[in-house]
Amino acid sequence: MSLTSAPPGTRARPTDDAAHPRRRGWRYRPLRPGRAGTAARAVFLAVAALVTLFPFYAMVVLSFRPTGPVTFPRSLWPWPLSTEAYHQLLGAQNVLRWTLNTLVYAVVSVVAVLLLSSLAGYAFAKKRFPGKETMFWSFLAMLMVPYQITLIPTFIIIAKANGVDTYWGLILPSLANAQAVFLMRQFIQTLPDSLFEAARLDGCSELRVYRTIVLPLIRPILVTLGIFVFLWHWNDFLWPLVIGQSESMRTLTTGVASLQQQNVPLNMLLAGSVVAFVPIFLAYLMGQRYFAEGVTMSGIKG
Amino acid sequence: MANVSDDWAGSRRGTRRAEPDRPQQRRARRVNWREARSGLLFVLPCFLLFVVFRFGPAIAGGVLAFTDYAIGGEAHWKGLANFRRLVDDPTFWSALRVTVIYTVLAVPLTMAVALGMALLVRRSFRGTKLLRSIFFLPVVTSLVLAGVIFTWVFSANGPWSSLMRLLGLPHGSWIADSRLVIPALVLVSVWSRFGYGMLILLARLQDIPTELEEAALTDGAGPVQRFRHIVLPHLRPALFFVAVIETTVSFQVFDTVYVMTSGGPVRASYTLVFALYDQGFHYFDLGYASAIGLALFVMTLIVALIQRSTLGRQQ
Repeated sequence: MSLTSAPPGTRARPTDDAAHPRRRGWRYRPLRPGRAGTAARAVFLAVAALVTLFPFYAMVVLSFRPTGPVTFPRSLWPWPLSTEAYHQLLGAQNVLRWTLNTLVYAVVSVVAVLLLSSLAGYAFAKKRFPGKETMFWSFLAMLMVPYQITLIPTFIIIAKANGVDTYWGLILPSLANAQAVFLMRQFIQTLPDSLFEAARLDGCSELRVYRTIVLPLIRPILVTLGIFVFLWHWNDFLWPLVIGQSESMRTLTTGVASLQQQNVPLNMLLAGSVVAFVPIFLAYLMGQRYFAEGVTMSGIKG
Repeated sequence: MANVSDDWAGSRRGTRRAEPDRPQQRRARRVNWREARSGLLFVLPCFLLFVVFRFGPAIAGGVLAFTDYAIGGEAHWKGLANFRRLVDDPTFWSALRVTVIYTVLAVPLTMAVALGMALLVRRSFRGTKLLRSIFFLPVVTSLVLAGVIFTWVFSANGPWSSLMRLLGLPHGSWIADSRLVIPALVLVSVWSRFGYGMLILLARLQDIPTELEEAALTDGAGPVQRFRHIVLPHLRPALFFVAVIETTVSFQVFDTVYVMTSGGPVRASYTLVFALYDQGFHYFDLGYASAIGLALFVMTLIVALIQRSTLGRQQ
């Protein structure tokens, strides 16, 4: 058999017709579909892509409509454009504050989670200390407990400590991220011990080993995990909803939801959605590969 | 704290991890203690956060379920009262039913679309990269935004209703119809989640050696046979993984319900997590809400066990 070998992921070469009389003359080669197959697939995929993109298109176009009744399909025609909704939104609502809150929530959490989980992950992977196994397995067990179950007790703790409507009350509970610790530990375990040993022999302090050896080595996972944590916080809804009760402590998700509860006109509601969507969209355009890696590696979307 | 650990760690200059051989046993113990100190210090901040915000609340959640605690009030031990109330509460059973129906619809549908798309964009051709990014875009989009825009899509004069009228299917606003609101929410979930499953399955698909399929092809295996005997066995672990994740996500559906329906119409989309939120933060009945949380936890465990024993066994 004369089989051509192609690396996985590349297009398969068609097998030689002459070597396989049964196949001779039959143009259909499923590993590399014929013209009709390719065309059908292309059309289907194009339609699927348009359907997937349609809600985004509608969101953007309808947000630029002047206020008034919305009809389908006429309102989806992008002219005349009007920024009326955005003016009203920025005038009447605290959208900039919500954006700032979301940024603080996401950025502080990313930095803190990466720092804490890399420290703990390094210790769990490369150090021996009493109680290590128990601690690690109790961390893992928390992956099984849905976070909605701890929602109410966590809220009570924060409320008792006067943390409702504060940044620390919003951020602190979300820093206990079992997934991050687990992934860090898995990643650091694959690094050879000799690297750390060599640094210690050279007289490096533990913190310096962490800073100069561990941190540079784990850069790939810092990026993917960082993106995952950022997305999770940017899109988080339930926790900001219960903890950010005043108007000025809303994040973009709870802010947009509050717009909807106030029954603002559709164009204004969608303008708010666009404001919430644009930063994540730009970030996605720039770092798609990392987004895909971060989300698939870490499992769950927030 | 950073300085402290720097100081003491600096004092262990020149020490090295002990070799496992016997003559060095005594030295090993001494070195281990230093290693243990640094290990514990590195884990400590994380561990404290976990104690206060994960372990503590998880236990407290279990305990609260047996009390009548309300914010600002005192907690009284009520034994099984909350659970008796739960069992007698038609709202709870309806929430359970709604959540299960939603999950039973959403998980297979999302997985089917994910698998189909993964198979279609599997071999690279011009535009595959773009297509993959497009299909993944909803995954990074907040469910609140999805809920907002799909509220319009499913409105009485919206695109979905027009499409359904064209196809001769039930039209009008699906989210205002108590029989169609769950299918509508399921569609939003498929839209928002299929890209995730697609990417996981795609990664596994690309591990299948091309030779294997070509060999099957030369042996006269049709597309269906190749899928059944080569692709599917190869994908099983990944499918299991996606099924577990999607089930978890579906059980915890909240954002879209909050934005699109608020549990309505007439509690037709009142899911368990929405019930937990409603009881806890509208009626401030934290004890009862915790009982719902406990029920949710038990359900998650049961489903995880079932999935493990059925899907997992075939691996």
